[in-house]
This record gives sequence, C-alpha cells and structure tokens, in this order.
Amino acid sequence: MSILKKHPERDPGATEVVGGDELLVTGGHDFTSLTNKVSGIVENKPPSQWWLVFTMAVSGLMLLLGAIGWLVWEGTGVWGLNNPVGWGWAIVNFVFWVGIGHAGTLISAILFLLRQQWRTAINRFAEAMTIFAVITALVFPGIHVGRIWLAYYMFPIPNQMLIWPNFRSPLLWDIFAVGTYFTVSTLFWYVGLIPDLATLRDRATKTRKKVLGFFAMGWRGGNRQWQHYEKAYLMLAGLATPLVLSVHSVVATDFATSMVPGWHTTIFPPYFVAGAVFSGFGMVMTLALIARKIYGLEDIITVNHLEKMNKIILVTGSMVGYAYMTEFFIAWYSQNEFEVFAFINRAFGPYAWAYWIMFLCNVITPQIFWFKKLRRSIPVMFVASIFVNIGMWFERFVITVTSLSRDFLPSSWDYFSPSIWDILTFVGSFGLFFTFFLLFLRFLPMVALSEVKGVMPEADPHHYHHKEGGAK
Amino acid sequence: MSTTKNTNDQGKAYWRSLDHLAETPEFKELAQREFPEGASELTNPVSRRKFLTLMGASMALAGLTSCRRPVEKIIPYVIKPEEIIPGKPQYYATNMPFGTEFFGLLVESHEGRPTKIEGNKNHPATRGSSNVFMQAEMLNLYDPDRSQVVRRNGKNSNWNNYRASWKKEAEKYAENGGEGLAILSEGFSSPSMMRLAKAFARKYPQAQWVTYDSVSDENIYNGLNAATGYMARPNYDFTAASVVLSLDADFLQMDSNDIQYSRDFTSRRKVQSEKDSMNRLYVVEGTYSITGGMADHRLRVQSGQVGMFTAALAAELSAQGLGLTAPRVNSEFDKKWLKAVAADLIANQGESLVLAGRRQPAEVHTLVALINDALMNTSKTVSYTFNPDMQVSNLKSFVELTKSMNKGDINSLIILGGNPVYQAPVDVDFTAGLEKVAYSVHLSSHVDETSTRTTWHIPKAHFLESWGDVCGYGGSGIIQPLIAPLFDGKNTIDVLADMLSEEEVWAYAVVRETWSEILPTGNFEKAWRRVVHDGFTDVNREIAVAFDKARAQDAVITSNYGAPAASLGNMEVVFTASFTNYDGRYANNGWMQELPDSITKVTWDNVALISINTAKELGVKNEDRLKISHAGADLILPVWILPGLAENTIVMELGYGRNIGRVSKGVGSDVNLFRKAAAMSIASGFTAVKAPGTHLLACVQDHHGMDAEQLAADAIQKRLPVIVRESTMDDYQKDPAFAMAFAEKEELKSMWVEHDYSEGVQWGMAIDLTSCTGCSACTIACQSENNIPIIGKEEVSNGRDMSWIRLDRYFSGDVEDPEMLFQPVACQHCEMAPCEGVCPVAATTHSEDGLNEMAYNRCIGTRYCSNNCPYKVRRFNFFNHTKDLPEIVQMAMNPDVTIRFRGVMEKCTFCVQRINVAKIEAKNEGRDLAEGDVVVACQQACPTNAIAFGNINDPNSEVTRVKAQNRDYALLGELNLQPRTSYGAKLRNPNPALLSGTPATDHHA
Repeated sequence: MSILKKHPERDPGATEVVGGDELLVTGGHDFTSLTNKVSGIVENKPPSQWWLVFTMAVSGLMLLLGAIGWLVWEGTGVWGLNNPVGWGWAIVNFVFWVGIGHAGTLISAILFLLRQQWRTAINRFAEAMTIFAVITALVFPGIHVGRIWLAYYMFPIPNQMLIWPNFRSPLLWDIFAVGTYFTVSTLFWYVGLIPDLATLRDRATKTRKKVLGFFAMGWRGGNRQWQHYEKAYLMLAGLATPLVLSVHSVVATDFATSMVPGWHTTIFPPYFVAGAVFSGFGMVMTLALIARKIYGLEDIITVNHLEKMNKIILVTGSMVGYAYMTEFFIAWYSQNEFEVFAFINRAFGPYAWAYWIMFLCNVITPQIFWFKKLRRSIPVMFVASIFVNIGMWFERFVITVTSLSRDFLPSSWDYFSPSIWDILTFVGSFGLFFTFFLLFLRFLPMVALSEVKGVMPEADPHHYHHKEGGAK
Repeated sequence: MSTTKNTNDQGKAYWRSLDHLAETPEFKELAQREFPEGASELTNPVSRRKFLTLMGASMALAGLTSCRRPVEKIIPYVIKPEEIIPGKPQYYATNMPFGTEFFGLLVESHEGRPTKIEGNKNHPATRGSSNVFMQAEMLNLYDPDRSQVVRRNGKNSNWNNYRASWKKEAEKYAENGGEGLAILSEGFSSPSMMRLAKAFARKYPQAQWVTYDSVSDENIYNGLNAATGYMARPNYDFTAASVVLSLDADFLQMDSNDIQYSRDFTSRRKVQSEKDSMNRLYVVEGTYSITGGMADHRLRVQSGQVGMFTAALAAELSAQGLGLTAPRVNSEFDKKWLKAVAADLIANQGESLVLAGRRQPAEVHTLVALINDALMNTSKTVSYTFNPDMQVSNLKSFVELTKSMNKGDINSLIILGGNPVYQAPVDVDFTAGLEKVAYSVHLSSHVDETSTRTTWHIPKAHFLESWGDVCGYGGSGIIQPLIAPLFDGKNTIDVLADMLSEEEVWAYAVVRETWSEILPTGNFEKAWRRVVHDGFTDVNREIAVAFDKARAQDAVITSNYGAPAASLGNMEVVFTASFTNYDGRYANNGWMQELPDSITKVTWDNVALISINTAKELGVKNEDRLKISHAGADLILPVWILPGLAENTIVMELGYGRNIGRVSKGVGSDVNLFRKAAAMSIASGFTAVKAPGTHLLACVQDHHGMDAEQLAADAIQKRLPVIVRESTMDDYQKDPAFAMAFAEKEELKSMWVEHDYSEGVQWGMAIDLTSCTGCSACTIACQSENNIPIIGKEEVSNGRDMSWIRLDRYFSGDVEDPEMLFQPVACQHCEMAPCEGVCPVAATTHSEDGLNEMAYNRCIGTRYCSNNCPYKVRRFNFFNHTKDLPEIVQMAMNPDVTIRFRGVMEKCTFCVQRINVAKIEAKNEGRDLAEGDVVVACQQACPTNAIAFGNINDPNSEVTRVKAQNRDYALLGELNLQPRTSYGAKLRNPNPALLSGTPATDHHA
C-alpha cells in the first residue's frame, strides 16, 4: 500500500490543464510513472484488503458450489418456486448479471466508436467486469433447469435422436445471443490486453516472463503491429456494438414473446437495454470507486470520468423510469383487464414493497445527478451506485415474479417466497464474480495502459487537443 | 402337467414325485381352492406331515393351481393361461361394500394385479361412474401399512393360534348358549353376512350382536320406522322430480347412493338448448356442501334448526292447503322463502321431492316422509324398501353393549371390522369397557386404536381380496377377489364362518351356499357364473314398504321440532364425515389426504369451519388456532373461514387424528373427543376462543390468502363472469347466446398460418358446468389412471400440487352468503398451444390428432411452458416424488403410463394411453375409430356425465353435439389459443318469485 502511494517519477505540481482542456490523466503523470503505477499493482504483493476481499469472494464461491451441489442432488424443489411461479431467483439473477455485463462492451465498443476518450480510464476494468458478469449469468440458465445433466439438449448438437432444439423458443435465442456476446466480448478484451501484456512481459523475469510472453503473442510495438492492431480493434468494436444492443433485447424476448400479462409487451427490448446499461454503469461505478481508492488510481480514474458515468446513469435511469410509466399507460390504454391488473398488482399488490424499492432505486436515485455537486461527490455516487444495483435486481424480480404470481385464472394464483437455497445461490454468485474479478485485479493491468497513454498530451506533443488526439 | 409314470427307481426325481402328489385327492382339493392355505390340515395331527409335504408341492407347483400368479418376479409363462395376453388388461366385475350401501365395480387387472377401479356399467347405481371413495380403494388395497400378521396381546402370532384360542373359547359358550359373548360389527347389507348372523344367533341364542358405525343412515331408518313400521330405506327418483328441496342432505356427495343420485339429479339439468327445461333445487343447510353449491336457492340455517324449518315448512304447506297436520313450532325463518318454496312444491305435486340428510334426527325424516306423501310424491319420486339382508348401525344397542362391558357382563367380544375405540362417542366409555372383557378379538385392516387394546388382532382382507356379496338398491351382487390376500388377511365372512363351524370354511363356499338359495332354481352353476361375471343381478330381495300416513302423522305430532338458535356463547358444532377420509377409513390413503376438499380446497388437515361473521366476532382468521370447549373438554383446531356457513356454527370433519401408518401420522385432529351419543352429528353448547399460535394449512387455491386483499377480490369478481359464464334459465331463454357475449367483438386473427385439423380423428372435450357438481371423482380417477405422485403436506403448501385436473372453486354474489361455482381445469390441448413454441428442446409438441403431447424423455425442465400456459395446468416434478415409493404401492401404478422423474413437466394427456390402445384395436380390426372407443379416465368416473370426449370431426359424436350447443364457450377464448376443451356455461333455475324485489345476487347482471 505504502509503495503504491509513492509516485517518485511524477511531478505533483504539474498543470492539469493543457490548451484550455482538462487533462484526462491528472497528477502530473508521464508514460513511465503511469507504467510503473499500473504494472506495479500486479508486480507487487497485493494489499491486505485484497486478501480480505478475496477470502470473502472465495467463500462465496464455495457457497455457490455447495448450493448448486444440493440443487443437483435434491432437485429444483429446494428453491422457493411453485406452480404459477415457474421462474424465480435463478432467472432474476441471470437477467441481473447479463444486464451488468452490458457496461463493459458499451464502454469499450460504443464509446470507442463515438471517440469518447475518457473511456480509456475504465474500459479494461469494465470489460473484465462484463466477462465475469456474463460468466456468472451463464451459470443460471444451466442450473435452473429440472434435469441439469441434460441441459446440453439446448445446444444444436447432432445426435442419435435426430432432434434439434426448437428454434422458435426465445430460450434458444438466448443461448446464441449470450454465447456470441460472451465470445466477442472476451476477444475484444483480450485483443485490447495484448500491448499491456507485452509491457508487463518486458518488465518480468523467469516463468512469469514466459507466461506473459505467450499471451502477448510476440508483441513488439512495431508500426505494422500497431496498424494491424488498431484495425482489428476497430473491427471488433464494430462487431461488438450491435451485440450490446442485441443481447439484452434477446433476453427481453424471453419475456416479451410469452403471453403472461406483465411480460407480453413490445417495449421490453429497448427498455431492457436501457436498464442493462444503467445497471452496468452502476456496477462499474461501485467497483471503480473501490479499486480506485485501494490502488490509489485517483489520477487515472478522475472525478471527471466518474461525472461522465453519472451522466449516463442519469440518462439511462430516466429512460427506465420512462419505460415504467409507459407500461402503465399502455396497460390502461389497452383496456385489457389482465394487462391492467398485472400492473396495478405490481404497484399495489402483495409485491408492492418490491415494486417501490425498485422505483425508488431506479427512478428517484439517479435524479440527484442533475446537480453537479452531487454528481462529483464520491460518497454520494457510491451510495447511488449501490442503490442502482439493488434497484435493478428488484426490477427483474418484479417483472419475473409478480407477473407469474397472478396471471389469468385466479384459482392458480400463488405467492412466491425464496428458500434459503435461493438466497445462498444469489449470494454465492457474487462470490463467483468477485473471485474472477479479484484475480483479474491481481494478475492483469486493470487500466488499459496503451490506450491511456494515447490520450495523454505526450502522445501528441505538437497538437495536443484531446478531442482529436489519442489512439485512433 | 405331465403325469407320465416312470418306474425306474434310480431315475425317480423330485419332480415326478410331485406329479404323483398332484394326483392325490388332497392335492387336487388344494389345487382347486382359491387360496391354497392347507392350514386346515393342521387341525388333524395325523396329516400334519402330509401337510408339510403338500405345502412344498403347492409352492413348487404354484402355477398348477393357476389361480393367481406371482407378483414380485417377472417370469415368462411356460404355459400361458388362457385369455391372458401380457400387457393387455382384463376386467372383472365386483362390488365394493360401503357401510350399508355398495357400489358395483369393474376392476382393471394387469397380469393378476388390479390397477384401476371403474364403475360397473350394468350396475344400476354406478352405471360405469364412480366417486372418490371407489377410486381411492385402489390405493387402500396396496397400503403398505396394512396389518400383515395375527397378533396376540401385541405379539406376533398366527391364524392357527387364533383359531385354536377361539375353539377353546367357543367350548364355554356352547354350554351356556353364548351368555357373555358379543359380536360388534359394522353395518352391512349382505345376504351371506345376514345368513351367518342368523346362524350365529341360532347357535348362541344368549349372545349379543351389535352393529355400530361412526357415520351411518341410522337416523333415516329410524325416522322411516316411525313412518312405515319398517326399518325402511327411502329411494329417491330424481329423474321424476322437477322441484327438489334438500334439508341438510348432501345427496350429491356424502350421503348414501350419491353416484346414482348425482346422475339422476343432473339428468334433469342436461339443457340442450333454450327450449329445454330444468329442475329446481332448494337447499337448506348450515354447512356448505357441494349440494348447496348446486342449489338454485340456498338458505343458511343452523343445522340444529333444520328440523324446525321442516316443521315450519309443513305448517306453511298446510296453510297453503296441503292435507297434513304440522307440528307446532315458533320459528322466524324467511317467510318469503318459505312461502315461495311451499308454493313451488305444491305446484309440482307428484313431481317434487323433499329429502333430509343423515345428520338430521329421526323425527325430521318422519316429517319429511309425511310431507312427501302430502305432496303425492310417495311411489312417484320417493319409495320405501326394506332390505332383509341389511343391518344398520344401532347406537342405542352399542351404548347398551358398552354398559354391559363396563359392568363385566361381557366375557368375550368379537369386533368384526370398524374401530370402536376411535369411533365411539366420548361419553360411551368403550375403551374402559374393553379392558374388562377377558377375551377380545379385533378384525381390522390396520393395527389401529382398537387393535392395540384387544387380546387378538387379526388382519382383515381388502374387499378386492375377498369373496362376499351385497344386496340392495334394486338388486344383488357378488364380491369376487381380484388378487390373493397380499398380507395374510381374512374377510369378515371368513372369520365369522370359521367361528361357527368345526372345520375351516372359507367365504367362497359360504357365498356360494347363500346364493344357491338366492338364484332361481335350475342350472345353479350357470347362473352363479353369470352373476360373478356381471357382478350384479336383478334378483331383488328387498321388499317394498308402504307409507303409513296415520302412523307418521301421530309420530310427527308427538315429536319436538323446536330448537334454540345457537349463539356465540352457545355455539353449534356439526360433525361431518370427512370429504376425503370419510370416517377415518381413508386416513392412510395418500390420494385422499392430498385430495383438496372440494369447497375449502384444504388438504392434509381437518379444520374448524366457521362463517365470516363468526370469525370476525371470535377475532380469528384462516390458519389461526381455535380453542373449542364443551363441558370441560377442550380441542384446538385450525380455523378455516367458509363464507355461506350458518352463523355461530363450527363444522368439523371426522376421521382425522389417526396414527395407523406413514400417511396418516400427524394428520389433523380427532374430533370424536366432542361427540356424545346424544349428539352424534349436531351438538350445541360450545364456546370458542382464539388460541395462541397458528397452524399451517396446505390449501391448493387462494394460497396464502392470495384472494384476501381487496385488490385481488375485486379482480376475481371482475373476471369471474368471463371465466365461469353463468346465467339463469329464464335469462338464457331471453338471450340464448349469453355465453358468447364476452367474446371479442372482432374476429380473432392468427399471426401465422394455422395448422389444418379438419382431417382425420381430432380429439376434443366438452365440460358442462351446469352438471358439474364438484365431487372430485375426476381428480382421483385421473390420479389413479395416470400415476400422479403424492407429494405431502409441505409440498402442497409450497404450491406444488400435482393434480392434472384442478377443480377450481369460485364464490360469487353476496360475500357472506355466496353462491359456489366449480370449474374443472385440465390441459386444454390448445391448437395454438403457447407452451409448445417456447420449449427450447421441443419436448412438448402437437400430434396429428390434436393432442398437446409431452415427451418426458426430452424434457429438461425449463418450466417455460408452464409460465406461458394461461390455464396453469402444467405440473412440474420439483422433486423425485416416487423415489421412496414402497414396492407394494408400485403395484397400484398403471403400467401403461410412465412414472415421471424429477425435473420433468407433466400434465393431462387426454389419456393418450387409452387413445393408443383404442387405435391399435381399431387397426387390428381393420376399421376406423368409432364413437365410444376412447373413454378418458375423468369422463368415465364422472357421475353426472358432465364430461364429453371424442372426435370433434365426427358430426355424430357426443362431443360434437355438446360443443354445438349455444352455451359452449372456450375458457380465455379471447387469447385465440383455440383450446380443444370447451365449457358449457352454467345455468341455474331460480324461482322467479324469489328473485323479484330482492337485490340481484348474480354477478353478471
């Protein structure tokens, strides 16, 4: 910790404004100090907080494995599901984690194409989060089925029964959408990592050097390599961009194509995407604030960056709020008894508490970011980001459970209560996510060094103007 | 069997010696016996060695007798018995005794293993239909907790020891003519039992024979005894009755002969079009029965005041000019109601029917008979018969017997069936009396409350394992066994006959001997075989009894019909036979414990039913515990609020609180604690207070009070007219298309090209809500046919009940005194099934003949199909429910239907296994499927023929005819799923005189 706090190379008194623009990296860093700073995190022993959090995360992971073991042994009945409510926390968690997995690729791909250079501070971090969130999410469709050992029936594998999956089923679309998203996100992340892995390799010795050398794929930083690299990166960004929009749209069709009142609405795909970006940014914010504090990255992930993220949270949060109101309007406008009841029941029925938690967290909380002071306050944004995470989990809960709990025939209505195994599985999923994430922090550069360097004045010494400079 | 002799001594083998044995007369006799026991030989010490040799032979050559085949091992036939094709079931007719009534059965048997009970088509009462009790007997047969061994003072013994002990005992009584000897039996109506009972009385003239049942028709018989001079039974002809007044009678479910009465009653409600007419049912009751649910007008009256109501009705009838003298009572019943009912009854003289339930005291039945006679109904809608082979429960003699026992006057007591320790009223101290009896024997299917207190417990065989006979309801029948006793049991006739004779006699011989007198002279063997084959014969031993008006009138005038109204400080308690446990005989039957009560929808418990107002005054809500007190005794029962119940009345079910096996353990509470001989059914003088704590009840509808809050209650009332479409006969005539009024105005369009189902056989179902009484027979029949698992109370309360047919019950109208509506909902087999598209692995698909099919092997259990089913009729196996199924219970499973593993979705298949059998048969015979080839389990069981099933492409099929009616509608039809099951809108036939001026109670206006 103490080592990290020292920045012997930098000039703390250096100007933070060049040519009338605020610098993206503050604190007087030059290339060397930046490299030392970021590489030092993975080269030195992790801080004691890391060990503490890592122990907790691995415990959580064990919890998850235990809960899944019990589930496989005993059956789906260990969860709180019942007859009308066929989908409960497992699906809620799936959508929640997939949603979180939106921010990374959005930041790295869409913001890249939109030339938002502030993204470089957080993109590596967010991408890693995306991948781990998607991995965590993918656990749930696998374990939520009744016969887990036959879940592979969902894949189009040629088989002796000559049966293919049902291509009309949105669950199958999910398999493809999430699978593709995961593949492209991972590729994108890895491609972005190559120059930084090479940097680490050059600073390493012995086995570590060999391992890093393998993954750096012979990167030497030559012009030709950079040329190919930039092209590949651009192309992957182009590929990833529609996926950001498609993956949650497809997840939304799980609900939207069904006929359950409260699910059966055309607004779902865009509404889900907005919600996903919202929740993804919430999670990036939470994680960034913690990592920034622990690793002393205040100069790289500056308040300016955070403020920009808060603006996105405000925008997407308002979009989500708009969607909530639209749902009510359309339900009323349709004059369909079942639709109207589904929404009134959400807000005033037995799950009203969940609905209002969701509404408060998702719609009211982001509105504080209209105020610049609050937008730039670290404690405020930290609490708000937690609220967003909570609210978005509840949104999925409200959608999934309240709709199923009371559908068409009142005779089959029932109330869903989670069992202890639902709760342990959910808690355990954080263990899985954080285990991955902490290993990432420990072994890989959490800031995209090469990209950050590209947006520093030094990268373009003659015509520094950050709106035009940087990696292209 | 080869009988070749081999004289070569060297080569003489065991097998040949067996052949020799097989030719001996002893072995031949043994071989011809139904159940080779060889035990009688033991009585002769000389033949003991021979017996052991014989036993070895009979076991080795079990196939030689070929009466029953082994059940545990799968061994191919060396010589195939005639008429048996493996995999092809056989059907045998038999009869099920049930108190003093009985049901004619046709039992499906797979390779000697009975698997399914149906009604016998030729039987005048069942006519191929069934009720829940009949269906549940299948599981009672395979109850693994049935007693398996003779016990003496709690220690294992055997039949020979028991027999020897009785012979010793009998020697005493041979001298004194049976003084100090008593037999306590259940009520019966059986020629053989009556013959043996008479023989017993001849042999032991000083001995007592007492009959006692916890639930019986004793009051009815006593009432008619006062009216006719005979212990006569009323026979109602609902087909001839246009107006029916039921006084606390649940003739559609719990009272005797319910199957026939359900069919006959609804036969007058089978409205084909608006031009038809229907009967009218008035119900006066304090509980809420399914008969009350069918009523066109229902009056809430405390059960204890139904007698007073009857007297008031008699007075009103008399006032309106009917020739009878009514007993005098001061009553304050709804005058308008009384007047209207009386006028309606008089207007339909000779076509009306008044009947009272078995809970009502004898004098009510006398008065009812008098009223019927005054209404000229005698021998038109009601007739009286005396059954000489019937012995009904006699509480008075049971009380006397107990007194004698307590005095020490009874030395030997033989209890033939029943469970008097559990069933005796609390003020009849049978248990103490039993301790004073030196020698007691209890014949019982389980080691129960009584068995543990008697000297001997002897296991009772199930009726499907026994020979026997029945008589009554227009004929007589024979009980033939479907399987050898699984647990070394004997039936009542076996035991009684054995007691009376020196040698071992078995029921088969007794029954044959009885029937040699019953059947017309001529070729007895032929006639006997005919009766065994048909299960039933018209030969009627009952005697028609005339109504004696003067006698009845005298009895009525001298009886007291007044009764004080119950109040909060003096509450009334009504003891009812359990809808599922009856008097406790189904307590260890998982199907029955898990079958929701039709009305409360509560499973696995008995509750204290109270009205909404009473609950408010007592300050209790559902699942609270209610402490009920009477004369120093307390009982705590969970509360269930049932709207429509009389005020200040607590209704509680008998038959719970037993511990006779793994199912019954800890289920419900024994309410016999409160039952006194003077008030067996309706008692007063109770108080109730809220007790601390709550009691979880597993309810399959309105889970966790889901309908309790106003938001939901309003939504339900708003939806109800669309879900269960209902009208009155008058309104229907004015607007014959009312059932269509809720349909979408615009034509429903599909987003894609619809499949063409106009060719070939297309299966469809139509359910007539006007005839559906809510009896639940379909639910249990389906469970038996389709191997639906039992999941237990906890899982039911988790909302995971597995019934493929969900019998939805709704209340409508007045909150405190509502009408009741039933709607059986199973898979609707939608042509545009929403479940099929969403399954990612194509495990649920559509067949060419319009079935929505489940491929269990393909199902991975995403539950997406269930989510997307608007009817919520799919059932998911959350656990492996059949993992611990005892081997013996596995025998009850239908071999034609897969047992589902955990993680698999299941649902109604339209009994696809039956469809396939019919298809194969038709194909083998080179013909097309014809109407009636496929009868699905629920349709077969339904006593009111409310379910029609068949080919909707056949213009002449029953289902097509029903679907063509203008009352036919599709449930949630506006979703355009095109379900193959449709419903006939419910019609009631209220009396216009009672509708005008009163606020509209029907909800659809």
